[in-house]
Amino acid sequence: MVRMGELATAAKGGAVLVSIGLGSCIGLALLDRAGGVAGLAHVMLPATPSDGDGGTPGKFGDTAVPALLAALVRQGARPSRLEAVLVGGARMFSIGSSMDIGARNDEAARAALAAHRIPVRAADTRGSTGRTIRVDPSSGTVTVKAAGGKAARLYPAA
Amino acid sequence: MSTYSELQLDALGELANIGSGTAATALSSMIGLPVDVSVPNALALPLADAVEAAGPPEQYVTAVALPVVGDLEGIVLMIFSPENARRLCEVLGVEADTEMGRSALSEIGNIVGASYLGALGATIGQTIEPGPPEAATDMLGALVSTILAASADTSDVALLLDSALRVEGGNDATISFILVPSTQSVRGLLDLLGLQ
Repeated sequence: MVRMGELATAAKGGAVLVSIGLGSCIGLALLDRAGGVAGLAHVMLPATPSDGDGGTPGKFGDTAVPALLAALVRQGARPSRLEAVLVGGARMFSIGSSMDIGARNDEAARAALAAHRIPVRAADTRGSTGRTIRVDPSSGTVTVKAAGGKAARLYPAA
Repeated sequence: MSTYSELQLDALGELANIGSGTAATALSSMIGLPVDVSVPNALALPLADAVEAAGPPEQYVTAVALPVVGDLEGIVLMIFSPENARRLCEVLGVEADTEMGRSALSEIGNIVGASYLGALGATIGQTIEPGPPEAATDMLGALVSTILAASADTSDVALLLDSALRVEGGNDATISFILVPSTQSVRGLLDLLGLQ
């Protein structure tokens, strides 16, 4: 289970990485399918605040990408083979409507990925429903289940 | 300050107690059923733990969120299990899972929230009120994490004042009532209580 603010990696034969109940949070998945490793970060906020309260690396969009990248490389992933999939970033309530955190998380994740030249291959983001993401390093697939719906493979396209 | 002493948590729990007692009475008047209130918990938890403390993240619930405005900032979240949502809607004569049903639950949230916050405010000599309520039905984890992301700002620890309101006569009667104050508001609160 990759809970809010956390990140984890797994290799072929290893655990399926899951984040349950992504609201405004983004489940940021990175896969090296040929290498058989994958990672998942449960991103809560777009950017590390200026007063420098670090928090866990998976918490902020700007730090989650380099942290996940480093962890995957340690497990043998090749940066050039990495692909990203984004899930979440919904707007569950309009409270706090001046800052749509979900949308900002989505943008921050994409910006960080672009800066590291990692392509986003698929995304199921925005809207107003909660989602659950499952990343399976053995099959190199990402599955999404939206609240009230059935699980469906998001990447590679079914 | 990202951790709170036992003394501070006890004091905050006391405040939650006062708020929930009033809230239970208000809810009871509104629905015409006896409502009991459990001893509230003031929990200071790392964010991921705070999400889990509210219940299983995959559980489907209806939640009503109210922004807290005035001298205290934060968000109140009232969580109804599907069973509870249905019962309360029934009591109010509307169908659950409809626009009217969500509206009715929002109204409950509004009245209960207003009495909770009013009692809290009166106790510490501050003006605290709820803003407009909003209902959503979704996975518990998605709803709670969204609220925490919106109010826990830069802190890694969320303070939850969690009360359980029990509506008599049903199987699954508990309504969770969670107040998440902003980190800054907690400092202000503790200051007022002389416990900084």
